[in-house]
Amino acid sequence: MSYGLAIEVKDLTYVYPDGTLALKDVNLSVKEREFIAFIGQNGSGKTTLSKNIAGLLKPTEGEVRIFGRSTKDMRIKDMATSVGYVFQNPDHQIFNMTVYDEIAFGPRNLLLPEDEVRERVLEASKIVGLSEEYMEESPFFLPKGLRQRVAIASILALRPKVIIVDEPTTGQDWKQSIEIMEFLKYLNGLGHTIIIVTHEMEIVAKYAERTVVMANGRKLLDGPTNEVFAEHELLRKAFVKPPQPTRAAYALRKYGVRQDVLSVQELVEEVIKSFKRSQERRTEAGLNTESAH
Amino acid sequence: MGKPVIQVEDLWWRYEGRKDWALKGVNLEVDEGEFVGIVGPNESGKTTLVMSMNGLIPNNYRGIMKGDVIALGMNTKEYQTADISKRVGFVFSDPESQFLTMTVEEELAFGLENLALPVEEIRDRIRWAMEITRLEEDFLEKPPYELSGGQKQRVAIAAVLAMKPDVIILDEPTSMLDPIGKTEVFNVLIDLRKNYNVTVIVVEHRLEDIAYLADKMVLLYNGEILKVAPPQEFFDDIPFLLEHYVYPPEIMIAVHKLREQGLYSGKIPLRFDEGVKILEEVVKG
Repeated sequence: MSYGLAIEVKDLTYVYPDGTLALKDVNLSVKEREFIAFIGQNGSGKTTLSKNIAGLLKPTEGEVRIFGRSTKDMRIKDMATSVGYVFQNPDHQIFNMTVYDEIAFGPRNLLLPEDEVRERVLEASKIVGLSEEYMEESPFFLPKGLRQRVAIASILALRPKVIIVDEPTTGQDWKQSIEIMEFLKYLNGLGHTIIIVTHEMEIVAKYAERTVVMANGRKLLDGPTNEVFAEHELLRKAFVKPPQPTRAAYALRKYGVRQDVLSVQELVEEVIKSFKRSQERRTEAGLNTESAH
Repeated sequence: MGKPVIQVEDLWWRYEGRKDWALKGVNLEVDEGEFVGIVGPNESGKTTLVMSMNGLIPNNYRGIMKGDVIALGMNTKEYQTADISKRVGFVFSDPESQFLTMTVEEELAFGLENLALPVEEIRDRIRWAMEITRLEEDFLEKPPYELSGGQKQRVAIAAVLAMKPDVIILDEPTSMLDPIGKTEVFNVLIDLRKNYNVTVIVVEHRLEDIAYLADKMVLLYNGEILKVAPPQEFFDDIPFLLEHYVYPPEIMIAVHKLREQGLYSGKIPLRFDEGVKILEEVVKG
């Protein structure tokens, strides 16, 4: 099945007010329902790019189109319902006295009637797994994992088609990271386009179908995640370290180990295959020696 | 290894207003010069445990405590945190929460001035702490908030080191940092491990580096210590760690799987390179 274009970034250059050139001639097309990771070291431009896509920053040169419309022509209300941006630190986003008001803030700004606001709050809370007992609590006193969910729910209540999450797993433990990522995967299944901005390569390997590597304000690599991670030389230049299974496969390349492995499971399968090949060669060699006698 | 510097004896702690105990009968001994890694999922009591080691708990938090913690011979119930802290330094996960002053130099001198040390001694100690944490001379005049995450965390560590504590506790020192910042902080830990006889207790999710640095690993889960062992033994039971939401480095998991299949029978590798060598041996057949 083919989907339409969600995001088109054309020759995007972005210069911060202090003169810092953060993006230079970036081009990118994202289809509906893609699950993408933006990676690269700090200062590479990945966050600036995602903020341009979310309309939080407007291009200095070039343009960003969201479902065909330039972000320069879109009003905040249109932006908010097309692209939602979840900040790295949920506390940069949370400011209401109760969880309910926090999640209701966006829909109320869309001037929706209060019963629809309520419906959206409950729907968004249900999706992120926040039970009703939390609704009257202060979001500030919830554990970080739950604050992150409140932040995501408040974005979901706007029902944006594209959801960008900046560092979804920072400060979370492994279990919480998996929960958040599984949840984003679920939203992706519902039809949302998902972009994560992250340093966690295991998370990228496990969840992103496509990966964009940024370096010095330019797009260095863009493609299926397993192909991108196999570009060891280029990644080294961008100071990106692929996940351990990919690096191990690279170290074993002279034994014919496949180079596009991402997970432990794939690595182990490849090692076992190569082991069997070695065994077969040995048996053959053994047979040959025997027949020579 | 030397004499015990921290003794946690049947420690129970419940924060005021909570119905569950955060720590339930924890026993742990840390010896002089040891490097101890504490791991476990969030909310398992790791921060509570390390805060009890310098007296922050019970002295600065409300709650109910049972059992004892003896830090360098001082029972934390009988001494003030300020006194214990001079010898048991504490670095928080968010360095900004501990900055008090406007320049890095003031930040580093703050604790020392409170010790009423002579100016020359203060200068020497700052220079020494900056050397270990690889902070450049020109950082001294900068305000801490202008630094990168990794630099801030190194300033926080330097400020604690300058006090020349016997024990330094770091509570998730890298969790909020990007990969470069994480590496910067780990390089400091590696240096402390190699060249200075200070006892280090670190709470950390990133096991790739802790695995080969630690003398002793501690798994805390739901307020209880489930396992204390040297890394080789600690990481030997991979399924046990996974069951308790501790995710070992993937190279260890790969070697563990090959061992399960009977293709390898040795130890779990503590370093990535060792793991690759093991895989190579298997591949060669």
